[in-house]
Amino acid sequence: MKKIQLIPALLMAFLMIGQLAVASETPSNKKKVITMPENVKKVIDNSCFGCHNTDSRNDDAKEELDFKTLDQLTATQKLGALKHIRETIEENEMPPKKFLEHKPEKALTQAQKELLINWVKQESTALLKK
Amino acid sequence: MRTAFRLLILLFIVGLVIIQFFQPEKNIATESPNHLFNQEQVPEDVSAMLKSACLDCHSNQTNYQWYHQVAPVSWFINNHIVEGKEELNLSNWGQMEILDKIAALEDMGKEIRNGKMPITSYKLMHPKAIFSEQESQRLIEWTSSFSEQLLTGE
Repeated sequence: MKKIQLIPALLMAFLMIGQLAVASETPSNKKKVITMPENVKKVIDNSCFGCHNTDSRNDDAKEELDFKTLDQLTATQKLGALKHIRETIEENEMPPKKFLEHKPEKALTQAQKELLINWVKQESTALLKK
Repeated sequence: MRTAFRLLILLFIVGLVIIQFFQPEKNIATESPNHLFNQEQVPEDVSAMLKSACLDCHSNQTNYQWYHQVAPVSWFINNHIVEGKEELNLSNWGQMEILDKIAALEDMGKEIRNGKMPITSYKLMHPKAIFSEQESQRLIEWTSSFSEQLLTGE
C-alpha cells in the first residue's frame, strides 16, 4: 500500500521540480548577454570604446552607447543598440570624420566594418532566439 | 522710391501666387492592412496618442490643416513628412522585420523620454501632441512592453 502511494508522490515531486525549472526560464530571468569575440573586441577597443564608455568625457557619445554597461540593458534595448551600431557603420557615420582627421589610425577598414556588421547580425539573431 | 516699393510688394504677391502651383504630393493614402493598427492589438489610449502626436509624419495618412495647403508652408510640412516616414513609417509595420520592429519601439521610447519627439514645431501647432508626464510614461511603457512581447513571442 505504501509503495503504491510512493510512485504518485514521486511523480508529483518531479512535476513540481519541472515547473520550477520552467518558471526560472521566464524571459525576465533569462540571461541574455552579448558575446564579443576577441577580434571584434579588438576593433571596438581601437575605434569605438574611447568615447563610448562610462568614463568618457564625451557625454553625447556615452549617452548614445556605452560599451561598459551594454550588458545591463534589457534584451530589447540591446537589440536597439545593436541596430544603431549597424546603421552607424553602414552609413559611415562613425568614427566621426573630424575625429579621424586627428586620429586616422582609428578609422575602420572595409574588413573591420564587415566584421562588426556580421557580429551585430549574429548577436541580434541570437538574442531573438534565446 | 515709392513706386519701387510698390513694385516690390506686387512682385512678392505675384510670386506667392505662382508658387501655389507647385505643390508637393499629399500624404493621404488609404490605410493599408500593413498599418500597425491593422496588424497589432494596440490599446485605445495608446492608439489615440499615436494618432494625435505621431502618425501625421510617421504613416501614410497625414491629417492636414488648411494652412498646410499653402506654399511655402506646404513645402516645409512635406519635408517633415518625408523625413519622418524615412525614419519610421507605421503604415508599413506588417512588412518590417521583427528586429526592426523591436528597434523601432526602443527608439520611440527613447525619443519620447528624451523629449526629442514630437518635435517642438509640431507641438506648437498641435496642442494635442503635448503630453503630460503621465501620458508620456504610458506611451513609453507601451513601447517597452510591446517590444518585450515581440521578443518573447507571447
